[in-house]
Amino acid sequence: MNVGVAHSEVNPNTRVMNSRGIWLAYVISVGVLHLVLLSIPFFSIPVVWTLTNVIHNLVMYLLLHTVKGTPFETPDQGKDRLLTHWEQIDYGMQCTSSRKFLSISPVVLYLLTSFYTKYDPVYFLINTASLLTVLLPKLPQFHGVRIFGVNKY
Amino acid sequence: PPTHIITVNGKECINFASFNFLGLLENEKVKSTAQASLKKYGVGTCGPRGFYGTFDVHLELEERLAKFMRTEEAIIYSYGFATIASAIPAYSKRGDIVFVDEAACFAIQKGLQASRSNIKLFKHNDMTDLERLLKEQETEDQKNPRKARVTRRFIVVEGLYMNTGDICPLPELIKLKYKYKVRIFLEESLSFGVLGEHGRGVTEHFGINIDDIDLISANMENSLASIGGFCCGRSFIIDHQRLSGQGYCFSASLPPLLAAAAIEALNIMEDNPGIFQTLWAKCEWIHKSLQGISGLKVVGESFSPVLHLQLEESCGSRENDEKLLKRVVDYCMNGGIALTQARYLEKEEKCLPPPSIRLVVTVEQTKQELDRAASLLRKATQSILN
Repeated sequence: MNVGVAHSEVNPNTRVMNSRGIWLAYVISVGVLHLVLLSIPFFSIPVVWTLTNVIHNLVMYLLLHTVKGTPFETPDQGKDRLLTHWEQIDYGMQCTSSRKFLSISPVVLYLLTSFYTKYDPVYFLINTASLLTVLLPKLPQFHGVRIFGVNKY
Repeated sequence: PPTHIITVNGKECINFASFNFLGLLENEKVKSTAQASLKKYGVGTCGPRGFYGTFDVHLELEERLAKFMRTEEAIIYSYGFATIASAIPAYSKRGDIVFVDEAACFAIQKGLQASRSNIKLFKHNDMTDLERLLKEQETEDQKNPRKARVTRRFIVVEGLYMNTGDICPLPELIKLKYKYKVRIFLEESLSFGVLGEHGRGVTEHFGINIDDIDLISANMENSLASIGGFCCGRSFIIDHQRLSGQGYCFSASLPPLLAAAAIEALNIMEDNPGIFQTLWAKCEWIHKSLQGISGLKVVGESFSPVLHLQLEESCGSRENDEKLLKRVVDYCMNGGIALTQARYLEKEEKCLPPPSIRLVVTVEQTKQELDRAASLLRKATQSILN
């Protein structure tokens, strides 16, 4: 489903993460973020990797688990108005390939980060906390769950 | 077309059944404009408004209607039923709340069903009931203010109700609107071209500022003697329907000959504002002459061109009531007056009105014809109901 073509998809948000080339674009953009952070002269390697991990997880949390609904009108009278983008992927079907990709990529980034930070305890704490904020909402048990009513409406 | 004199089952009758309030269905000027348009544009537009289906007559009609109703913008639909049925779901979605009158017409009910919103019915023209519902909603909102901030609230009313012939109490509604912060959608199918000094509808009748009403939707199939419908209001509101009004985007546009006919009908309405007074006088006359008929009670305002005649005492079942009314209608038809029973889809209506004969007053009927209709109804009820 490309930009500007006629389609009968009720909610295009559900198919964005299956689009052609998006996984590659995602990997490349994480790489670019890492390169930009590496170019800053006064950050050491562990700091850079930690920053990559934290910024990646923060942006992923904001885009996938905070922002709700669609930026366009859908013909289903606002069925997904209260759902985050993660919950909308593939119309709520769990464990599809995009969901698996998006769950595994922060884990891969975390493994690389913990290697490059030499398993230092402070960095370990920061990176693990960051990983948990982005892994827990992706569990199937957390579909539609809003803790303490945050972000409910 | 169902004009002043129609032939029913081979018998010529005077038409008291079609909503041809201003008699514009057989107006020569309207017919000649339509024929000229037919020669110029052909019959159909072969496309929706967004895909090569917009003609200059559509834009002209929208401009003229907006200017006539003194709003910023108007939008044309190609089918009267689809007008309000597309307008409501364009604004009200799942999780929103709509307060609607029990006597709302079928088109409004289908629009509400398509919108998937929470519907709260209030008793017909009962402002205390509506205020009670609004107060309940207010207490719910205070319990959950975050949810309240994202729910939209609407009131949907008709100017002149087709099912009862009553008028909605618009000044009280405006007060409730500003007190409880709800938007008002007014459906003026029967009151457009009937009420108000210049025919602008129920807002002019009550002298209310048109900007107080958020959306006015009306049928062009009654007074304007065309097909289709329009919505008018502020540009900000109407523009939204150009992409979200399902009946606008996904239906072929109004045939240009009908749009030209509607423009001509608007011209006639603007040029002789005296016809509205004539129509009201005729409505009052028939309302008075129909009082006191034994067995039938007249339901409707005295200035409403649509009157319902309901049986004073029901025979028990709806079927028997309808059979009795059918006999009255047949008697009148033999006497040369064409009446009709109000028809409903019994299983689909939310609040089914009682069976009735629907009598329509038009400008073309003379006083003698009105008197004839009244006396024929009197004789019919005397012979059939007694």
